[in-house]
Amino acid sequence: MRVLTIAAALLACAGAAQAAYPERPVKLIVPWAAGGDTDNIFRPFAQALQKHLGETVVIANIGGASGTVGAREARGAAADGYTLFAVHDYIHLTYFTGVADVAYTDFKPICSVASTPSVLTASPKTKWQSVPELVADAKARPGAISVGATLGSTSHFFPAIFEKAAGIKLKYVSYDGLAQRMNAILGGHIDLTDGNLTQKGKVQAGQLRFLAIATEKRSAEIPDVPTFKELGLDVVYAVTRGLLAPKNTPDAVLATLDAACAKAVGEADFVKSMKAQGTDVRHLGRAAYGEFLKRADGENKALAQELGLLRR
Amino acid sequence: MFDLLAQGLGDFLQLKYLVPLLVGTLVGVVGGALPGITITMTVIMVLPFTFGLEPLQGLAAMVGVYVGGESGGLITATLIGIPGKPSSISTTFDGFPMSRKGEPGRAVWLGIWSSFFGGLLGGVFLIATTGWLAQIALQFGPWEFFALFMFALSMVAGLTEESLAKGLLAGAFGLIITTVGTDPIMSVPRFTLGTDFLAGGFPFLPVLIGVFAFAQIMTDIERARSLAVGDAGAGQIVSLAVSQMKVVGEILGRPFLLLWSTFVGILIGVLPAIGGSAASVMAYDQAKKLSRHPERFGTGTPEGIIASEASNNANVGGSLVTIMAFGIPGDAVTAVMLGAMTIHGIQSGPLFMSQESALAYGIFAAYLLAHPIMLAIMAIGARWFLRIVTVPKSMLIPVVLVLCVVGAYALNNTMASVWVLAIFGVVGYGLVKLGFPLAPLILGLILGDQIEVNLVRALMTDSNLWLFVTRPISALLLALAVGSVVFALWQRRRSRSVRTDEPDTDF
Amino acid sequence: MTMRPTRDMVAGALGLVLGAGLFALTWGLPQSPFVPIGPDFYPRIVLAATMLLGAILVVGELAHRRRPASPPAGGRNYRLVALTFLAFGLYILALPGLGFRIATFVFVAGLQILLDPPRGAGRWVAVLALAVAASLPVFLIFERWLSILLPRGAWTGI
Repeated sequence: MRVLTIAAALLACAGAAQAAYPERPVKLIVPWAAGGDTDNIFRPFAQALQKHLGETVVIANIGGASGTVGAREARGAAADGYTLFAVHDYIHLTYFTGVADVAYTDFKPICSVASTPSVLTASPKTKWQSVPELVADAKARPGAISVGATLGSTSHFFPAIFEKAAGIKLKYVSYDGLAQRMNAILGGHIDLTDGNLTQKGKVQAGQLRFLAIATEKRSAEIPDVPTFKELGLDVVYAVTRGLLAPKNTPDAVLATLDAACAKAVGEADFVKSMKAQGTDVRHLGRAAYGEFLKRADGENKALAQELGLLRR
Repeated sequence: MFDLLAQGLGDFLQLKYLVPLLVGTLVGVVGGALPGITITMTVIMVLPFTFGLEPLQGLAAMVGVYVGGESGGLITATLIGIPGKPSSISTTFDGFPMSRKGEPGRAVWLGIWSSFFGGLLGGVFLIATTGWLAQIALQFGPWEFFALFMFALSMVAGLTEESLAKGLLAGAFGLIITTVGTDPIMSVPRFTLGTDFLAGGFPFLPVLIGVFAFAQIMTDIERARSLAVGDAGAGQIVSLAVSQMKVVGEILGRPFLLLWSTFVGILIGVLPAIGGSAASVMAYDQAKKLSRHPERFGTGTPEGIIASEASNNANVGGSLVTIMAFGIPGDAVTAVMLGAMTIHGIQSGPLFMSQESALAYGIFAAYLLAHPIMLAIMAIGARWFLRIVTVPKSMLIPVVLVLCVVGAYALNNTMASVWVLAIFGVVGYGLVKLGFPLAPLILGLILGDQIEVNLVRALMTDSNLWLFVTRPISALLLALAVGSVVFALWQRRRSRSVRTDEPDTDF
Repeated sequence: MTMRPTRDMVAGALGLVLGAGLFALTWGLPQSPFVPIGPDFYPRIVLAATMLLGAILVVGELAHRRRPASPPAGGRNYRLVALTFLAFGLYILALPGLGFRIATFVFVAGLQILLDPPRGAGRWVAVLALAVAASLPVFLIFERWLSILLPRGAWTGI
């Protein structure tokens, strides 16, 4: 037994010394599975961030229950800057729809990283070539056109905003994640879905149809696709992804992270991989991202209420 | 087409592609062999390394992991009876008994050569039919998927040696496990008793590792007179050397079995979201049903090993078909590969083959070459891998348990997965003691969420329930499911007159 | 003759109890305006099937009135099984507090001693060497090369 005690004591020495932040690898919690949209954005970002942080940034995929398992884990983590949280707009939605008790206020903002605009995408088996044709058809047969969406999440809210703006009624079918929705829309099992620019190749091959993009101006990647605004519909929607830390993380640590993040988003490799994923690099610092989150929280609450999903 | 393939194969003469493929395959074999470390985990571990590489280098490494992993799993499955990863489950059914009967070399090499042939046949299929086969899978709506899963469950319930009711009950337990946690549609908490822990549900892999590892380890502990020795003595190391010609002859002498298992593997691989474990279980079941000696299955028959290993390697080829033609991952491993492609800015999808033909044929070449590399690694390393069974149980058990904990933890980076592992360790041991077969339980676990999601989707798309039987593919699959149950009942009624005693079947 | 429950009877009863217990919990789940069937629909089908199969198993056993299979020959070391479960339970409970390295060292050493008490200095060295090998290098490899951070101790800081 004494041998064990001595060995344990020796082991204890290994991590005793304390130094300036960061002095060991930083864990970045991604609340979705590896290979998903969020994971694909934060993996290259982690590579860029560690270059400027001077320590390894390790992605920890903690999936499950619409991203709320990872959120709870991040909220409960030690607020020492060694656990960070990769977030997108779902955090507001899961809170207001009553799926989880984790709110954005349980965290401190660090920075936003990227923003992915939504594109209304139609199955090739449908006959509409444009949004007006779709709207006319939808008015003729309300509740018959199906939309694949992760219910209660961003891919549900985007078509819902369109639905409201155009004064039509759609039918929602549950398909979790972009990959599953693409499978279903290619097979013609759903008519519409929330797509993004990563699906450009399938559109060019005639496998899918982009009807309109939910940005202020047309995208340079797909100049032929009109914006909803041009068509007279007030639909602007993008999923913004950013970095948070547990609420009690010291200010000095947050400042270090903010500075490293500001440099990381400019890394050529990161910019290149975002472009490849149809995502815009969108950097906001601590204060600005905090403002953004606050505004988004209000908007999402109003949205949830209009859709009859508000449970808080 | 052949010049493109030749060029792809030629590329791999360069060290810069050969080395990642070689390292990937080796890592895959080791990862696949270690219980509690799945191919998914191995490929996730490899992912960060691929960021700094060229796309084809990274993808070659991942293809290597995938092929190596599917083969590596058979080592632990046959030698210590713990599947190194889920798709080796059916390899344990016959591989382990054969190994215990004193023919570990034959069991291992039957598995390796079956993997080799199944994989290569899968490769031929992959190259020849990528576009065409995926068209079929695309026609599958929620109705067809639901019917397919019903068919799979009813078939696997027929695997059990005991009553059909018990097999189906085990399958139902698997389904029940997946209903715990938030529901897959609206994330409503179910059966959580208000706790955060249960809100996350029971993730599939910790449950699987727990059920299998503990059922095996605890049974070993309760039976063993002394844990100071391993399963194999030093003498058995020598017996790993078998006549390769004879083993190859044993496999090629059953061309129908090999081709059919390969076909099942490819088909399951092409269909999204089913994966290698279902492929090997289904191929095993098929082999048993079609065999002239179904009673020999589970006692160490070579057919069982061939069916399982040929199909799970062929499944890799099938999964690659789906990911390359449509950009739709068939399982978690290909999901990670797809992620790696996206990060490198490669558009997978219908245009992939024409726009990125060099890369596409590079992947084909990597897949074909991974098999001889795997064979070489096994030929050099299999002796060494066998040392796992000469290590005393008292040393092996703690290490395996630690690896199970590491595997469960690393899957989701939370202790919650480790609690799940422990809970289902106890549950698994209890179920084995009650004589429940584990294969239907596992299939229920794999398919549970998908069955529910597709049922709900079908109803959300169209409230007409008759569509399940009026859509032709769905109707055919449901008819096959019913037929499978009826056949199993008939078969049991026939054999009941012969066998009356209750066997002590722990596995 | 008193009826001792057979293994299949216990198994069937387990299905009945589990199915009925969870079935009771399916009441009161919220419905969604978007989904035609509630979150209770599918579990109820599965649970009803479970109860049915459990009943079939129990009734089948009662009808056959088969004698319970004689307990398998040879002593089975259930005590050691229980102790192994206990050791594993203690290990994972201590893991978040002690950290992976210390907890694993103690567990691997302890379980080896439990399963096969070492005799002689050589065995003791082997036991401790394996315990060190399973804790320190594993942690290092995962953190440095495999990008997986195994738990650090909340009480010990390592």
